[in-house]
Amino acid sequence: MAGDGISLAHGIGGAKDLPIPAELAILGAVAALVISFTVLAIAWRTPRYDESRTGRPAPQLLARVVDSTAYRVTLRVVGMILFLYTAIAAVFGQDLLTNPVFGIFYVWWWVGLVIASVILGPVWRAISPVRTINLAFAKLSGSDPDAGVFQYPARLGVWPAALGLFAFVWMELVYPFSTELGPVRLWCAIYVALMLLGGALFGSGFYERGDPFEVYSSLVAKLSIWGRRDGQLIVRSPLANLDTTRAVPGLLAVLSVLFGSTAFDSFKDSTIWVTFTQSSSISTLLLNNLALLGFCVGVGLIFIAGTVTTGVGPGTHRLDLPNQFAHSIVPIVVGYIVAHYASYYVEYGQQTLIQASDPFGNGSNLLGTGDLTVNYWLSFHPTFLAILKVLAVVGGHVLGVIAAHERAIEILPKRHQLTGQLPLLFAMIAFTVGGLYLLFAA
Amino acid sequence: MRRTAAVLTVLLCALPVLAGCGDDNEAPPASSDSPTAINIEFSGGSVTPKGKRVEVKAGEPVQLVVKADEPGELHVHSTPEKELPYSEGTTTLTLKIDQPGVVDVESHDLDVIVVQLEVS
Repeated sequence: MAGDGISLAHGIGGAKDLPIPAELAILGAVAALVISFTVLAIAWRTPRYDESRTGRPAPQLLARVVDSTAYRVTLRVVGMILFLYTAIAAVFGQDLLTNPVFGIFYVWWWVGLVIASVILGPVWRAISPVRTINLAFAKLSGSDPDAGVFQYPARLGVWPAALGLFAFVWMELVYPFSTELGPVRLWCAIYVALMLLGGALFGSGFYERGDPFEVYSSLVAKLSIWGRRDGQLIVRSPLANLDTTRAVPGLLAVLSVLFGSTAFDSFKDSTIWVTFTQSSSISTLLLNNLALLGFCVGVGLIFIAGTVTTGVGPGTHRLDLPNQFAHSIVPIVVGYIVAHYASYYVEYGQQTLIQASDPFGNGSNLLGTGDLTVNYWLSFHPTFLAILKVLAVVGGHVLGVIAAHERAIEILPKRHQLTGQLPLLFAMIAFTVGGLYLLFAA
Repeated sequence: MRRTAAVLTVLLCALPVLAGCGDDNEAPPASSDSPTAINIEFSGGSVTPKGKRVEVKAGEPVQLVVKADEPGELHVHSTPEKELPYSEGTTTLTLKIDQPGVVDVESHDLDVIVVQLEVS
């Protein structure tokens, strides 16, 4: 409600994207619908992504470089330098929006990591400062970095990461003081502390399941062409790579948080939500909290409903199906994230690079990037941006439908393969059409 | 599989074409001899409108006609941001935004998004 002093959670950045034109949104929705049924009707009928055979070895020279100790150490050093630079700006910099910490936290880390991982593979695993610190502790004390005091409980799966990701999106989208230095610093300090604790308790294997950024990065990296088989670097098609995603507990929760929160971010700027919250007598903060949670849970429930309503063969548990199909919404999530964040990433990403040159706000130009200016070409070409958005959403949808089809013929009994896919297909169409609607209505 | 590819290609190629058509039809008949004016009224710790969407043209002046019972400030979340102070009584603030996008105009004292300018 007005006057409580905390309802306008304005993130970093000024103007937001224009809504996409109605005809583009409708065209995208129709394309998604047609493609979905086309895939169902004419795609292959026997599984083709056998993990033990797909892809081929990466070029030898590349593999030798990537697998060399020097390369690994270099990436760890790069990650540590980025981490320390940010930490110093966070501790000694000014509490102003010109402090690069905000851009590094909300733009480079949250959005840049996704784009880097889709192109390069699991980036965070390679540069993660918490992994590096854990490794350094183990080296100093002469212990094994992979061994902890306890065995990580397998049934926890990636649930800790889902919670961590929710904590991030809550901070970004709901928390009213998201652009003040103190809270961002505190968030990062808690993150680092929990990660080091997790590493000490369960060994470095904890990061694969418990580090929200590693789980996020490694999951979207399944859409890259880079994979591994028996330790060997493999080049595969993104679809074959995606099929190698492990169905662990909490996988759907991770994806629901990512998709639900991005959808909420679009929704909260819509006229409907703005006028509703500002005329309601209930606190805007409470309404935003409920809506964020509602979007995340809603995505999960739609997906569960879409996957469990099929016939299953003996030995298959119906309730295992949501996680076994969850990888198929990774491309839908990435497509929507690209659509939602494209201009924000390109423009505030540049702004951050400029600000990063002056971490203490004293006019210094440490990186030599301080004199650059932001290129706003994308914002000045809204039609191009709108087409890019629709292509990203529809492209993600196509890959998702194909991935789900492959999984259905892998694990469903023959007579349920076609009908079993239908509810999931409707769930995916709901996500895509819903996403397009939000891009249109925002 | 080749058929899928063909269908996809056709559909994806159709997207830009249709979008292009959309633009051609948007011949702006806006008789812009007088700039868009938006009335804003502050009274008794409240403001009208609250979150209204107004479409404006990029690069053209917009007038915010503010009637207020006490002085204050409007925050325009354009890129870059602008702050427009107004005084008690009626103040006419003129604003020109060049970069397309949705721009929130807020009162930070009341914590309210007053209008959203859809600049295109």
